[in-house]
Amino acid sequence: MNKMVLMIAIMMLPGCINVSAPDKPIEINLNVNVKQEVVVRLQKDADDFIANNPELFPQ
Amino acid sequence: MMKMSNLMIVAAALAVASPALAADPIVESALSSGTVGEQWDGYMGFVSAPSGDLKAAVDAINIKRRAGYTQIAAARNVTVDQFAQTTACSTLRSVKSGQAYKLKDGGWRKRNGSESITPDYCG
Repeated sequence: MNKMVLMIAIMMLPGCINVSAPDKPIEINLNVNVKQEVVVRLQKDADDFIANNPELFPQ
Repeated sequence: MMKMSNLMIVAAALAVASPALAADPIVESALSSGTVGEQWDGYMGFVSAPSGDLKAAVDAINIKRRAGYTQIAAARNVTVDQFAQTTACSTLRSVKSGQAYKLKDGGWRKRNGSESITPDYCG
């Protein structure tokens, strides 16, 4: 009896596997502005990065 | 012992710095003349079609900036764009009078003094 259930379960597996691509494209949000609280938190690291790499930030 | 994330930031700062630490004069000249400018997204852009040399120099800068942004963003658990835009808050503040800059909502503008040009989220 248990073997039967197991066999049926295995036979149903192909229905669970989906190899087609999702129809919604993967969203990459390049158009969302950073929020102010995130800016506040990152500001020091950003300023340090600029100060440590002056050749990348010519004036 | 330093936190791992802080170590990564120091590594990013050191790794991105190239041996010749002086800024490229072709880029500085283009900034002065307004043919390249800083953008809200954290990168430099071309106001008008650049020469091959200028394009190569600016592309190299942008690639290195992105490498640094990527490393630090990972250490701080934010997206690359979030860190790049935060950096742009500072670069935009440093834009000199007469130089070009670009915000998200428009084309190239010229800074006319020390008026505020940063987006609201820059604080």
